[in-house]
Amino acid sequence: MTSARPDHEAIVELVPSGARVLDLGCGDGALLAQLVERKSVLGRGVEVDEAKIRACVSRGLSVRHGNIEDGLADFPDGMFDLVVLSQTIAYLNRPLLVLKEMARVGRSAIISFENAGYWGVRYRVLRGEGVGNPLASGLPRIRAITLPQFQETLQQLDLRAETRVFLRGAARVTRWPSFLADAAVYRVTKA
Amino acid sequence: MIVHAQQITFDQKLVLQSGATLGPITLAYETYGTLNVDRSNAILICHALSGDAHVAGRYSPQDRKPGWWDEAVGPGKAFDTDKYFILCANVIGGCAGSTGPSSINPATGRPYGLSFPVVTVADMVEAERWLLDALGIPSLLCVTGGSMGGMQSMQWAVSYPERVRSAIVLASTARVSAQSIALNEVPRQAIYADPNWNEGDYYGKEAPNAGLAVARMIGHITYLSETSMREKFGRRLQHREQYGYDFATEFEVESYLKYHGNRFTARFDANSFLYITKAIDYFDLSQGHGDLAEAFRNVTAKFLVLSYSSDWLYPPEQSEELVRALLRNGIDASYVEIQSDYGHDAFLLEVERLGELTRDFLAKVQRETSAPVGDNGSVAKDEPVEKVIPLATWSAARNARVAGQGNA
Repeated sequence: MTSARPDHEAIVELVPSGARVLDLGCGDGALLAQLVERKSVLGRGVEVDEAKIRACVSRGLSVRHGNIEDGLADFPDGMFDLVVLSQTIAYLNRPLLVLKEMARVGRSAIISFENAGYWGVRYRVLRGEGVGNPLASGLPRIRAITLPQFQETLQQLDLRAETRVFLRGAARVTRWPSFLADAAVYRVTKA
Repeated sequence: MIVHAQQITFDQKLVLQSGATLGPITLAYETYGTLNVDRSNAILICHALSGDAHVAGRYSPQDRKPGWWDEAVGPGKAFDTDKYFILCANVIGGCAGSTGPSSINPATGRPYGLSFPVVTVADMVEAERWLLDALGIPSLLCVTGGSMGGMQSMQWAVSYPERVRSAIVLASTARVSAQSIALNEVPRQAIYADPNWNEGDYYGKEAPNAGLAVARMIGHITYLSETSMREKFGRRLQHREQYGYDFATEFEVESYLKYHGNRFTARFDANSFLYITKAIDYFDLSQGHGDLAEAFRNVTAKFLVLSYSSDWLYPPEQSEELVRALLRNGIDASYVEIQSDYGHDAFLLEVERLGELTRDFLAKVQRETSAPVGDNGSVAKDEPVEKVIPLATWSAARNARVAGQGNA
């Protein structure tokens, strides 16, 4: 079984078998369900949308309804081996708070995001099409995150990148990721 | 579904939380579905303040009304009687067949009245345990209920962790708030103020129905929401085109409350109302534990907690407090706040979304807990890539911690 989302595939590979995993903004549980099936993780999720949580429970997942920006106060320090934030950080109002909380409740964290430094994005900007979701799409606002920006944030929060996976579609990017990768998956831990 | 009311009497005395004793005890109960061979498919439904053992079905084809949760309990429903053996008992202190203040006190040959001892939610659970023992049910696949039924469910998981495999708690709280106590005390005052109440000694005489009706009216207000009242009644007048400038029942909402208040007096005993609301007021699982999380330390049941967005009697924040206590113990818990305008009553009404959740939840509990205890069947032993906490889940780690602290 492969995932519809390329970053999911990369995340699954970064998760050790049997780990205790918390997925923040877990949606309908697609990633968690894969982690349970393929990596036998003990999975938990947090999701804000009621219908998506019902979908998670239908998949047999244990998910708490809530807003991850209200903190993860329900979870004790170090309760998880891994805390996952996939394709969600760009939508957060308080990303630093969430990253700090992830570092508190987990030993490591996996964060995936779209690279705003990708050449395709730069090209759109040059053409005057702007960054992020177009106004007419009505989609939520999104933060444009580049790889150097993300690295700087990690440093600021005393976090260290253990593993970095750069993607263009489903393919791995090894050279000039800042420019050639459309998405990045970082596994980070406390420095 | 045609169902039968049943009763069982225990001759021994139950030692209550207060230290008083109560006995003999009769419990009215009903069961639906079939207990499987290994007795592993039993679900206990616990009723709320004004409920009874008649959860679902009808006593005869001519029966006008089905049980109080018929929408959720039956073949193919949220609690599926084709798959599960479902039972419910009227609580002690009640007035629908179980021993309560209107029962005859064997010591005097007269109804107990206020000589009936004050019971708590834990005492109700103890009586339910007697029933389970009598029926030969070693453990519950699930214990569930809304409101006070949710309180009993939590109490079950705390009092008998080894006998509860899961709990579904709806529109409830682990710690009854000052507002909820206030909303119980005013109805009680309405009963005390009725001269017919006579310190609870009214059996065989005129009952304090005026007081009980007011009590029920207050209850009904707390079960609805501002939105549901606006939608249901608005400012519409009953049988009138314009204001009468008098004190007749004029607005539809007044008529609704009056109708339900009066109808309640035909089926409910005022003293039972006093005793059961008192049991609710006393409900605080954190009592004697310092904090709520401590209370759940030995709990192994998997939890599904549901709150309803417009419930102001036991608002979502109180369910979140429960969920926090569960998660801090590493208990496997899911929490959903259901968007609904029905207020507290939503737990009875929003059965479609409830069913969506319970079907898969219960199926998973059944799959997981049919394996021997301590062996998490769903966890395959893959090659460990790096050092992680072993496959033996949190609960094992927690139990070890519990054992350690037990010596302290």
